[in-house]
Amino acid sequence: MGPVTPLAISGIGSAGAAGEEVLIVENLVKIYKGAARKALSGLNITVRRGEIFGLLGPNGAGKTTAIKIMSTLLSATAGRVQIYGTDALKHPGHIRSLLGLVPQNIALYGGLTARENLRYFGTIYGLRGQVLKERIAFCLDTVGLESRADQRVSTYSGGMKRRANLAAGILHNPRLLFLDEPTVGIDAQSRNMILEKLSLLKQNGAAIVYTTHYMDEAERLCDRVAIMDEGRIIAEGSLQEIADRPTGHADLGELFLTLTGKELRD
Amino acid sequence: MYKIGATLLKEILLLSRDRSGLLVLFLMPALLVLVMTLVQENVLKTMGEGHTRVLFVDEDGQEVGENIQRKLAGMSSIEFVKEIDGRKIDRKTALALVFKGDFQLCIVIPKGTTAACKAGAQQSVRRAFEGGAPPHKDPVERLDIRVYFDPTVFGGTRSAMLQSLELLAFGIEMEEKMRALSDLLQTYIPGSIRETMGSPLAESSGVDIPRMQRDFIHSRLLGVRESPAGKSVFEKKPTSVQHNVPAWALFGMFFIVVPMAGGLIRERHDETLARLRTMPISYFSIMTGKILGYLCVCLIQFGLMLFIGIHVLPLLGAPVLQMGADPFAVFVIALSAILAATGYGIMLGTLAGTYEQASMVGPISIVIAAAMGGIMVPVYAMPRIMRDISVCSPLAWGHDAFLNVFVRGGGLESVAWQVLALLSFFAASLLVSRICFSLRSRNGG
Repeated sequence: MGPVTPLAISGIGSAGAAGEEVLIVENLVKIYKGAARKALSGLNITVRRGEIFGLLGPNGAGKTTAIKIMSTLLSATAGRVQIYGTDALKHPGHIRSLLGLVPQNIALYGGLTARENLRYFGTIYGLRGQVLKERIAFCLDTVGLESRADQRVSTYSGGMKRRANLAAGILHNPRLLFLDEPTVGIDAQSRNMILEKLSLLKQNGAAIVYTTHYMDEAERLCDRVAIMDEGRIIAEGSLQEIADRPTGHADLGELFLTLTGKELRD
Repeated sequence: MYKIGATLLKEILLLSRDRSGLLVLFLMPALLVLVMTLVQENVLKTMGEGHTRVLFVDEDGQEVGENIQRKLAGMSSIEFVKEIDGRKIDRKTALALVFKGDFQLCIVIPKGTTAACKAGAQQSVRRAFEGGAPPHKDPVERLDIRVYFDPTVFGGTRSAMLQSLELLAFGIEMEEKMRALSDLLQTYIPGSIRETMGSPLAESSGVDIPRMQRDFIHSRLLGVRESPAGKSVFEKKPTSVQHNVPAWALFGMFFIVVPMAGGLIRERHDETLARLRTMPISYFSIMTGKILGYLCVCLIQFGLMLFIGIHVLPLLGAPVLQMGADPFAVFVIALSAILAATGYGIMLGTLAGTYEQASMVGPISIVIAAAMGGIMVPVYAMPRIMRDISVCSPLAWGHDAFLNVFVRGGGLESVAWQVLALLSFFAASLLVSRICFSLRSRNGG
């Protein structure tokens, strides 16, 4: 299969079959050089179009490693990652324009304004001229930063930075968006806005892989979740399936603690 | 191309807003070139390498003073000062000015020097003719030309100046002795003939003793001439400006490694680089954009340094920067040096784990490379072992290339190996960076 164009460039909007498998991860293994144990130990995930897939797990469970491999940042020791039918580990260049990444850190240039950051990243995604202008305006409006777009990112509050970080990830309207704890350390208003916008992206047909430590976020946002520990998935399913487990847990948080234990993870 | 252009624009925007980066890139080398050139200009003067300002006090006002003045004034490296504000200087004022450091030395011809010199010459010639005659009952007292040095003047300058004056004094003395000899020959030779042949014979033979011409004293039979070791349009040594402008321009160029490496490390730590790596842009495009951004900034920085050398330093009493006859060669050297510096910046930014590491290793390594490369002290003034080591410094390659064009009058062909060395350093740095980047990416760094 040849390169697939992102929605913003192709103009195909939300076209495509609902339920289409966008991301297929099979038996993914990662062993870091010099590490005693596997960071990922046979991970299997399937994410469909228009679906938000939550990856939950304690610190060191392997969530960020999984996101890095799936988003072509890191090579795998073994296993397969298929994105829109393309082997992402063998041909990362073919599918990069389809991906969006919102890393855990604020991956923006603090010395540039939000608009300048978006203009730069948009150009890298191949957006030009009026299309680029419109996408920048749309994304800034989406994250509520239109009026502050010409201020340097370094002057923003934590919540504004997180929203700008999200804007840079959705600028090219990606078909598959990876979000690594995008709401860490922000106020309730900013978090609420981010979650609302992610729901809108999902409705527009994007597939989203979302890692978080906040169980309430996962319950509110995700269609399916996987609970990871020690590089493996220890529970997976829709929120209903998880809730129906015969363990008698009041909520996802309680189930999470039962599955992963109460001892501290550093 | 769009992606490279966007990266270039982003880098320029970021740099233009980084005040400390701008200080490092523009203010620091500009101040260094100003201060170091002026300091070195003064050191060169005290070492006798530059223009020496000499006060001349002629208390005698006769032939000896005129003779010395005429000969010293003919030397291009000496500025001869006899009057200040239209008034003749006396010995006391002159000594005060020298002590203050306004002049490197003062020459005083004491009153009666010419007369004493003439009388002494007559007396010594007479004594030579009279052989075993007893010493003159009233010997002429010798009057010395006095030289007063500024205490900071180096020993080499002192001995060179004293040597020159000794030679001048010797010449004047010889001239006076020959003149006395010529005069006294008229007296002594007829007398001697009369004594040998008898008085009547001597008078009848009409012996005519010819007067000696004194010009022969000045005609030189053996000379010493300084010649350039190679092809040169500049017969002079490099001026302090010719040494310092390229030296500190190179130093400034290489200091871009600090903001450049810092920027790369920040990109890595805040995951901007990770975001870029998930985008459809290659490592080559990211780095090319960065290199072009810093290349533009460094070319502006180099232009500023040349401007200081040509327009600012002369206002402060330093010579004008002479850049030789091949501006294209100058541009090629600057370009190669900037590329070498950017390569080093990328390598440092890739290898260093933290900003602290880069901000410590970067400046220290550049200062060491600059010291080794003859930026602070010329390579020829270093001990042999340091001269051998200096060939390893990229700053030495750049500086040597600039001096080849500025001072030795060379063109592009004369700087080919230095340019190649700088470009090879650039390529090697990028290769190391690429390998390190790939290894780190594979391991999730």
